[in-house]
This record gives sequence, C-alpha cells and structure tokens, in this order.
Amino acid sequence: MSLSESEILRFSRHIILREVGGRGQKRLKGAHVLVAGLGSAGSSAALYLKAAGIGAMTLWDDGVVSSGDLAGSVVHAQERIGMARARSAAFTLARLYQEGELTVLDRETDLLMGLAAFDAILLANGPWEAIIQEAERLGIPVVLTAAHRGEGAVTVIAPDGPCFGCMPERLRLLAGLYQEEGDGAVAPAAGVVGTMAAAEVLKRLLGVGEGLAGRILRWDGWDATVHEFAWGENCVHKTEKA
Amino acid sequence: MTGFSLAERARLQNASVLLIGLGGLGSPIALQLAAAGVGRLGLCDPDEVDLSNLQRQVAHGDPDVGRPKIESAAAKLWSIRPELQLDLIKEPLTSSNALDLFRTVDLIVDGSDNFATRYLANDAAFLTGKPLVHGSISRWDGQVSVFATGGPCYRCLHPEPPPPGSVPSCAEAGVIGILPGTIGSVMAMEAIKWLLGRGAPLQGRVLTYNALWQEWGELRLRPRLDCPLCGPNPTLTKLIDYEQFCGGMLG
Repeated sequence: MSLSESEILRFSRHIILREVGGRGQKRLKGAHVLVAGLGSAGSSAALYLKAAGIGAMTLWDDGVVSSGDLAGSVVHAQERIGMARARSAAFTLARLYQEGELTVLDRETDLLMGLAAFDAILLANGPWEAIIQEAERLGIPVVLTAAHRGEGAVTVIAPDGPCFGCMPERLRLLAGLYQEEGDGAVAPAAGVVGTMAAAEVLKRLLGVGEGLAGRILRWDGWDATVHEFAWGENCVHKTEKA
Repeated sequence: MTGFSLAERARLQNASVLLIGLGGLGSPIALQLAAAGVGRLGLCDPDEVDLSNLQRQVAHGDPDVGRPKIESAAAKLWSIRPELQLDLIKEPLTSSNALDLFRTVDLIVDGSDNFATRYLANDAAFLTGKPLVHGSISRWDGQVSVFATGGPCYRCLHPEPPPPGSVPSCAEAGVIGILPGTIGSVMAMEAIKWLLGRGAPLQGRVLTYNALWQEWGELRLRPRLDCPLCGPNPTLTKLIDYEQFCGGMLG
C-alpha cells in the first residue's frame, strides 16, 4: 500500500503529525471500517472517517431518510428523503472523496455475517448486542456512541479492555448509551460525540493515544461539560484475554 | 425530532448568524447550524477550496477544488435546507467591513485560522455589542469559549499576540482531521445555546480538548481589569490595523 502524490498533498496535515506520518496514513488507507447507523452521530462519524482517508468503508442502516433526519444529521439531503439512509450517506461520502471503497448494506443479516472483514466498528445504531457479541468473538474493537437531544456518550469495547457484559446497564443508561426511537438529537451535540467516536476509530487503527476502553465519556451540550465513568474494572474476561 | 420545542424552533428560524471562515471549523458549524434550523447564515471567506483542505473541511468535496469555499458550502447547505437564507461574502474580514457585517446579525462565530482575524473579530464583536463564539485547533488540541458583553474577551485570554513565527499554523504543525469536527460542533452548540438563551454558555469559561488522550478540561477566565477593550478604562475604542498588531503574521 503506497500513497500517490495527490494523496500526499491531500493528507499533508496528517502526514506531518508525529502520531500519523506517511505510515499511519497508509494504515488508514488499508483499513476497512464499518459504520452502523447513519442517523445523527453516525453521520458525522462517517463523514470524518471518509475525509480522514479510511480506504474501505461499509455503511449500514435499515432505515430511510426522513425530513426529521435532516434536522440532526449532516450527510443526508432534501432530495434524498425516502432513500435508504446508508445509500444516501454513501452519495455524500463519495462526493467528498471519490477514491476508496464504499459498501452499502441495509439488511441485518448481511451485516452480522460479514463482521470478520472489519478492522474496527463504529456502532451508532442497529442490533447492538448482536454486533458487539460477534465483534468480541472475532476480536474487533467496537466504538459505541449515542446522542439524544443535547447530550451524547462514547465508549470503546475492545480486546484489550473490559467486555461489554461487564458494563453495568444502569451506568450505560445513566451515561446515555442507549438507542431511542426517532433519533431526536440536536445536530451539534451529535456532531461532538460522533466525531469523538471517529477519533477513537482512528486512534485504534493508528495505535496511538489513550482510548476509551473501560471509560464512558458523556457530553452534555447544554452545560458544555464532560463526565467520565469508569467501567469493567473487575472484568475477568479482560484478564483472561490478557 | 430535533430536540427543540416549537418556540425554540421559531427563535432559531428568526436568528441570523455570521460565520467567519468556511474551513475546518466553519464546515461543521455551517452544516450543523443549517441542520438545526438557524434561519439566516452569513458566510465570510475569501478563499478557494484546496486539495489539502479536504482531509478535514467536510463542507467541500473533490469536485469543489478551486471553487470559492462560500459557494461550495452554500451548495451543500442548500441541499440540506433549501429554504435557508444565505449571505455570501467573498471577502476577508477586515477593519473596514467588520463593523457593518457584525451590526446586522445576532451572533458571530469565528472559525478563522489566524491571530489577526481573531483579534479583529473580538474587537468588532465587543464594539458592536454582539456575542462571539471563539474556537481554535492545532494538532490534537482545541479550545472553545464565548465572548460577550460584560467580558471577558479574547484579549483577556491572550493580551498580546504571540511573536510572529512562534505559533505554527495548521500547515506547519498539522491537525488531525476529525478535531475541527468536534471543536466546530461544540462551537455550533454554543451558538444555538446563546440564540435560545438556554443552558450554561461558555462565557468566562474556556473549554479545552485533547483528542489523543480524550481529555476535556475547563479554565475559568475572568475579565482583566487592565483589558484595553473590555476593561473599566478602555483605550481601544475603534478597530486598528490587525496585520500590523500581529506582526504581519498570518496563521
């Protein structure tokens, strides 16, 4: 995997970062990332992952674009109301950067069968438990995010961290990591957590920084505050895995 | 569906925001303010889209390289909200146009990438009595604050511009492409909060973020008694030459 001259120019602001470099940018180019859920948070995440140069992306969503989606998400368009959300997002992503592979899925069965292909999963919507369970079995890191109204949260479930089963449900709900019918998030709040989740994917792929395995970050946009919750300190599976 | 009450939606629909810069910060700010239902946006940027912008400036795409950023962004914004009112200003913000541009809007969001523009936006916002949402980014770090009547202002945070060449630009230092997405989103949220008079704004608070370590922090910022702009004995009562003030250094 090498970078063309135009890629070197395009990603020059990344390449001069010590934590990315030419090597890191090639890693991103060689990576295959799944974004499940193209609502508010997933939209921002997908847009920024594509812009960052992820070489292969698969987009999954089983819904269609509604006028309500346009109020919270930034990848869809008025003229695509009624279109499958994943397909609509793919339009915007392909226009942003025509290089790279984009795959669109709208059926749950296709999604769960093909998980082994991914280097990382950004999970904003969809069959959470089934995806996480299968990803844990395959050793694929999952970045979990959700946004509601003016708030949102992010965490990571990864082979080197505690397992999902050790995340207390009470804490998960308290932090706002749950799915909600209607996706009623304020656009910028979803933008904050969606891009934080995308940063987690990039850091995983690059192997840099401190990730959110075992930490939930909860963003409250109305207060502009962040709360951090630790989870899974006593996870036995983590020790077994290590 | 939107997280706003009917009354709040009407308020946003009647609001007018001026956005300085349609780059890394300006892209998510414009997209989100449009999505959230702000009625009128002024887009102020003199530049054209460059290939090296596309790693982070998500209001633009491959077919937009070479096109004015305000036009490229406008097309994207209208695809989300065809009824959005846009004022396209293909000029840099200067001491001669700033006061007029600021007077006609409810709030200004500064998505610029250089010190001269930041001081200018700060002074012009204070002199016209308009709230200003400030943000900046470098490498993996960013910060956001709100400057409004009563202070503090950007000059309380940075009384002096840094010596020319001492602070590297994004081109020199690099920036992780996702960072302006997060910081710009926080800025858009602050704009909405201010327009709605809801929540706790970042006035007198500087929110800091590092994406590499996922660390958020907050600094308390007090108005400086010796601030030449917002202090009790102001010496700055009109706009100055900001290029000269910042040593002619851009970025």
